[in-house]
Amino acid sequence: MNKSATQSGRTKAGGITIIRYRGVVKRYGDFQALSGIDLDVHAGEVVCLIGPSGSGKSTLLRCTNGLESIEGGDIEFEGTALPRDERELRAVRTRMGMVFQSFELFPHLTALANVAEGPRTVLRKHAAEANRRASAMLAKVGLADKAPNYPSALSGGQQQRVAIARALAMEPDVMLFDEPTSALDPETIGEVLNVMKQLADEGMTMVVVTHEMTFARRVGDWIAVFDAGRIVEQGPPEQIFDAPTTERTRDFLSHLGWTG
Amino acid sequence: MDFDFSVITDHLSFLGSGIAITLLLSVLSGTTSLIAGFFVALFRLYGPRWLKPLVVLYIDSMRAIPVLVVLVWTFFALPIIAGVTMSPFMAALIGLTVHLAAYAAEIVRAGVESVRPGQSRAALALGMSRAQIVRRIVMPQALVRMLPAFGSLLSITIKDTAIASVIAVLELMRQSETLAGQSFQPIEVFSFAMLVYFLMLFPVTRGVDMFYRRVAHLGRS
Amino acid sequence: MTFDWSVVWQHRDALMAATGTTILLTFATMAIAVPCGIMVAALRLYAWKPVRALATSYVELFRNLPLILVVYWAFYVLPIMTGLGLSPLATGLAALVLNVTAYNAETFRAGINSIRRGQVEAAMALGMSRLQALRRVVLPQALRRILPVLASTWVSLFKDTSLVSVIAVTELAYVAMQIRAQTFRVLEMLTAMAAIYWLLGYPQAKLVDWMQRRFAVTE
Repeated sequence: MNKSATQSGRTKAGGITIIRYRGVVKRYGDFQALSGIDLDVHAGEVVCLIGPSGSGKSTLLRCTNGLESIEGGDIEFEGTALPRDERELRAVRTRMGMVFQSFELFPHLTALANVAEGPRTVLRKHAAEANRRASAMLAKVGLADKAPNYPSALSGGQQQRVAIARALAMEPDVMLFDEPTSALDPETIGEVLNVMKQLADEGMTMVVVTHEMTFARRVGDWIAVFDAGRIVEQGPPEQIFDAPTTERTRDFLSHLGWTG
Repeated sequence: MDFDFSVITDHLSFLGSGIAITLLLSVLSGTTSLIAGFFVALFRLYGPRWLKPLVVLYIDSMRAIPVLVVLVWTFFALPIIAGVTMSPFMAALIGLTVHLAAYAAEIVRAGVESVRPGQSRAALALGMSRAQIVRRIVMPQALVRMLPAFGSLLSITIKDTAIASVIAVLELMRQSETLAGQSFQPIEVFSFAMLVYFLMLFPVTRGVDMFYRRVAHLGRS
Repeated sequence: MTFDWSVVWQHRDALMAATGTTILLTFATMAIAVPCGIMVAALRLYAWKPVRALATSYVELFRNLPLILVVYWAFYVLPIMTGLGLSPLATGLAALVLNVTAYNAETFRAGINSIRRGQVEAAMALGMSRLQALRRVVLPQALRRILPVLASTWVSLFKDTSLVSVIAVTELAYVAMQIRAQTFRVLEMLTAMAAIYWLLGYPQAKLVDWMQRRFAVTE
């Protein structure tokens, strides 16, 4: 691919590369989930991965922090290839926050304890320090008053905001969002997207798998369109949404009823 | 038919000692089989590969052989091989533990496997180690989910202690049968025994269910 | 220590006959306890209130009693109450039926109750009668939940038949222990007894596992 063409209109391309995907291949048995993904994520960028279900977006995200292994290509995080060693991989994961479609809050812990769990168990902070940090993160996502509540007493949107706070409490260099609003009721999607927008405004590096095209258009700095395990087009949102260069992108957007 | 419950009041300490032995054997074998079952389950879930078929064989064998047979074998046959003598109570404790630990292990395994894989994935993403995930994320939820099954296992344990009467453990069943035979008043004696067993068992099942309903949300991910 | 395993072979006929009785007891008990269980479950779900309470009390009582006590009770008390001289086999069968019926009744009730109300409402919205909804919508779904439980009750029952040995029903446990007492070959006979139960019970336990996987209900 022509380098200059790939990078044109990329406003934050000057920052250091946080994640670099080169020729990433992932197979499940005979099924090829990813067939050669090339993508860069720069510091401070919001990169949105869009495309039809099963096109490989979430798979790429799970490969990024080593929840899934890859069969070919390279994934570099902050200039170093993802380690295979379990212990080193764990160290890398502490620097990437991940938010799941189904929240995956720990049901046996309060909201506060959920957020404090990582700092406490993984970063080995003292309970007081972990709780202090957790309170701050809950306040940041607007849920300071929900600290003593168990997940079962929270709405979907609130649970997802706690999950974001849980990831932020590790003070990660990058946040990975795996369809964070797909399991939410329409009326609570907004509160989660607002938190994500606020994070982006603060300069957090984010990789977001999403079906929320308005969010991708407004907040995204760089959009990658996936189809059948490949990136069929990538570019700044203006290009992808207003002047897509490939037929597949146009098809995908028109199926969603995207009118610009 | 005339009923004369003075047979009960006259032999209250005789029956009472039986109740005490029943309770003691229930609590002891309940505890030991729970602990043993927990370790058996850990071996089955996380143990070395070669060990798993043996653990499965043990569990399924205990599901196939009657408690009575295990108890009788432990009391009469085991001492011949092991060259030791055992009190009936000791034999009952060992036999019940060997038998019930298999069921406890299945409960623990099912509980652990019922915790969604997404929970482990979320913990992995935080950078936790496998051991940390089992200890801090999976087990606490699994324990909550196991509660109802543990409740019924406890009630099975109490019922199974009655079978220890066949190896002459002087628990409630044994004492009742002795008294029924000697007094020729089986209706009164057995009615009493039924009442006592029911009063022991019913609160256990109900109590555990009620407690579970209050904490169920802690295991629901 | 010397062991003489030939004692097992010498008594093969008695052991075979006893095993037959064990299997017969299992089949006979289930054959009676399934229809009885359905009846009790129906009484609990649909009968006149006092009858419903009575059925519930019966189920709760027998699910919370050790079976061996029921066996002794049947042996000592049934003849007094009925004035009949029942054979040990009939007495043992009665005790097992009383016990298993209570469990089956609970299984059927829970199975039917597990089907969401919406299913009946949807069927009636199509114009089905309540009975049609029960027969064509509720029961087929409930059966998937009931069958695995019935299967595991079956295995428990197979093992529990050993308990009627205490009232001299000549099933496997009783006969094996009789031979042990006559021959003093304790280890051999008790091990043979355990082995026969294992041989019969193991495949049953595996079958239950298979059924539970086969009929697993995902919600």
